[in-house]
Amino acid sequence: MASPLRSRPELTSVPTSDVTGPAYESHNLSVDLDSSEGARRILTGVDLEVAQGEFVSVLGRSGTGKTTLLRVLGGLLDPTADSTVSFRGEPVEGPPEGAVFVFQNYAASLLPWRTIERNVDLGLEGKVSKPEMRQRTAEALALVGLADRAKDYPWRLSGGMQQRVQLARALAVRPSALLMDEPFGALDAMTKSSLQDELQRVQERTGATIVFVTHDIDEAVYLSDRIVVLEGSPATIGHRIDVDLPRPRHQLATKELPAFLKLRRAVYDTIVDVHGQAGDVA
Amino acid sequence: MTAPITAPASARAHRPARGRSFPPLRGLLPLGVLLGIWELTGSEGSPYFPPPSTWARGLNRLWEAGTLRPAIGETLVTFGLALVVATLLGAMLGIVVGALRKADRALGPSLEFARAMPPAAMVPIAALLIGYDEKMKVAVVTFAAIWPVLLNSRAGVRALDPVLLDTARSLHLSWFDTMRKLIAPALLPAVLLGVRVAAPVALVITLLVEILTRVGGLGALIALSQRNFLSGQVFGLILVAGLFSFVVNGLVAVLEGYTFRHRPR
Repeated sequence: MASPLRSRPELTSVPTSDVTGPAYESHNLSVDLDSSEGARRILTGVDLEVAQGEFVSVLGRSGTGKTTLLRVLGGLLDPTADSTVSFRGEPVEGPPEGAVFVFQNYAASLLPWRTIERNVDLGLEGKVSKPEMRQRTAEALALVGLADRAKDYPWRLSGGMQQRVQLARALAVRPSALLMDEPFGALDAMTKSSLQDELQRVQERTGATIVFVTHDIDEAVYLSDRIVVLEGSPATIGHRIDVDLPRPRHQLATKELPAFLKLRRAVYDTIVDVHGQAGDVA
Repeated sequence: MTAPITAPASARAHRPARGRSFPPLRGLLPLGVLLGIWELTGSEGSPYFPPPSTWARGLNRLWEAGTLRPAIGETLVTFGLALVVATLLGAMLGIVVGALRKADRALGPSLEFARAMPPAAMVPIAALLIGYDEKMKVAVVTFAAIWPVLLNSRAGVRALDPVLLDTARSLHLSWFDTMRKLIAPALLPAVLLGVRVAAPVALVITLLVEILTRVGGLGALIALSQRNFLSGQVFGLILVAGLFSFVVNGLVAVLEGYTFRHRPR
């Protein structure tokens, strides 16, 4: 938890990143998934551009295809043939080098038979030298504040800590992009807000591009540079909202800003407008 | 998991000396008393309830005649070989059937049918096809022991979380590394659970086949002794078979404990 009594953050505008070429670029992205009645179109005509170092949240009601979109960006799912998706200029065919997924289900993603340290090693083994692996793992664990738990097995850690391990494992491969699928969805409110701040810090230090799927509007506004809202069935991007709140952000100070409340309201309205009700987005 | 319920070490250390007995020995007390009564009241010549001392004499006779050791050896080989084959074959088939829906559809009914077939009923066919030898014994025992392993492996594969595979892909693990580092360790507990169920089955069927066919081993020796009205010897051999399964169970438990060492206790 970031202590609210700690140094008040400077509420001046901070450049979010040095934007060069886009990290992700998708054009006319459509996805068909198999269902009992044959192929069903989940996403259609998604045009998305994510700048390097940008934090983009994907919002939408559950079942709209937020995770599907993220899986396509992560190369875990193929879009239709007429879609184009590229990561740093290269078309995405299979998981691209430099983009790592962080799953909501940390318990299923961590290997219970490996220690924390060895879990973080997983993405480095055979790819970098042993000493470098040791160093990178130690750095990644330090970055998420788990340096002292390196030798523990995952079951000894709380849910929030286990999710941190997954984040550390992703960071250890030094990705230029993190694809996060409701990473804090299964955590309690306190753990969630502390991890949100942790993630902000990580992004500040690493300059990673982050595409973040969530259905928590507050979370999306608090963390993002930009929010895209998926709507319809098949879904497409219905709204794009720029979040120009100053960084670094602070759990209390930022959330008390009139601009924050206005944005929160605007995002909420887009979702309520479309469906006449908030659904399970809140 | 079936970890024995024990007090934490710290609590045990604080217990008064009075309570510090040896549970396994205390557990054997009723058995010891029973055997003692049997020994004192039983009559040497009883064909039905020969006292324990005659068991020992019978076993000793067999040992000195040089037939006990090879019989134990043969049973051990049949049992061990069949269990290993059943584990490997069962795990492989189970993984294939669990992973491929088509294979499951194609093989499912046959597997259910074969599973329900009593292994003892297979003995005449196996003997006819393979002959009265060690191979036949191993085949029948494997047939009996393969099901728990196969079905548990199948269930294990189905319970695998797809997130695990996505994790491997996202971290660019090779197919071989994914199998070796993620899938195999993730399936190991399920396979071992199958082995744990299969081990006693394999032992029972080994003895049964030996009794039925008289092709070597402890079972054949039991059948032979029984036919010759050597009751003491029969009881002695049954005791040996019991100890055998006791040891097997212990070994499987140790193996399981080792595999689960990283899990909460």
